Amino acid sequence: MDELDPVIHAQARLRIMATLATLEADDRIAFPRLQELLEMTAGNLSTHLRKLEEPAYVDITKSHRGRVPITYLSLSKKGRRAFEDYMDTLRTVLGAQP
Amino acid sequence: MNTSDGAAVSSTSESSLDDTLPLAPAEMLALLTEQQRTVTAKMGGFVPVIMATWGGAWLLGFGALWLIDGLRPAFSLPIAVAVGVFIAVLVVAIGASIWLGVRSSRGVKSGGGSDFSGTVYGVTWTAGSLAIGAIGGALVQNGLSPELANLFYPSIFIFFVGVMYIMAGAIWRAVPSVVAGGWLLLLAAVAPFLGYPWHYLLFALAGGLGFLAFSILGRNLLNGSREFTPAAA
Repeated sequence: MDELDPVIHAQARLRIMATLATLEADDRIAFPRLQELLEMTAGNLSTHLRKLEEPAYVDITKSHRGRVPITYLSLSKKGRRAFEDYMDTLRTVLGAQP
Repeated sequence: MNTSDGAAVSSTSESSLDDTLPLAPAEMLALLTEQQRTVTAKMGGFVPVIMATWGGAWLLGFGALWLIDGLRPAFSLPIAVAVGVFIAVLVVAIGASIWLGVRSSRGVKSGGGSDFSGTVYGVTWTAGSLAIGAIGGALVQNGLSPELANLFYPSIFIFFVGVMYIMAGAIWRAVPSVVAGGWLLLLAAVAPFLGYPWHYLLFALAGGLGFLAFSILGRNLLNGSREFTPAAA
């Protein structure tokens, strides 16, 4: 049986991945809006995003609105695939032990 | 990341104790489903509000047009007042739709694909409305009577709105939008048979109350659905 991806298999990061997965493939979401949707502190969210960035599950782009820097986030192709695999594995695990 | 590392260290110490740990698989699946349901409700929560706004607008707007001749001789709303009410509620509903739509998508930047669909869809509203105006104008110029124009304009426009709702449902995969659009197509096709001013009453009641019903249905779907299928699936 497959192992559950340890990068995603943590409550906070699963919630982040689940939220980013609801976006259209080309869309990106600003850090503050993501924070609001997740109801996490900025620091906590940053920490977990960094862990998701290491295996390149999350794309982080920085842009500016006027002088204000905005960080945009989205799932990478690899991240989306990893999330789908995670869900498949989860369902397999659950199916195996009802 | 847009925060200083200092903030990150201090604020994670207490909250990350629990949320970095995994739960049992069943609980993780529940957490995932619940999170996506919350996001959908937060991002899509404006749709029932827009529907309710349009329900009120149809009820008042078409109701006012019906009252010009609908209750004669007992009562008649002056044309200027009726048309004024109709235009005012239309402007309010369009303004509210734009404001709510923009607000809900704040912080989300569209990529190439959804941007293109959205732009084409938006421009089609304008282009289609202008074309309908032109067709109607041409018919009037070629002898269409004001009485028939009274039947033609609202019906053809509601037909167009119905088609656009169905298109929106197809583009953004929203079944309620397809259902609402289908309902409008039916109204647009049936109403002209009733004749003036009863077609206005049908639009006010079946259209207005229909939108209000869809609004309640949509809100229940957003708040109650536990079986949201993740968009990635």
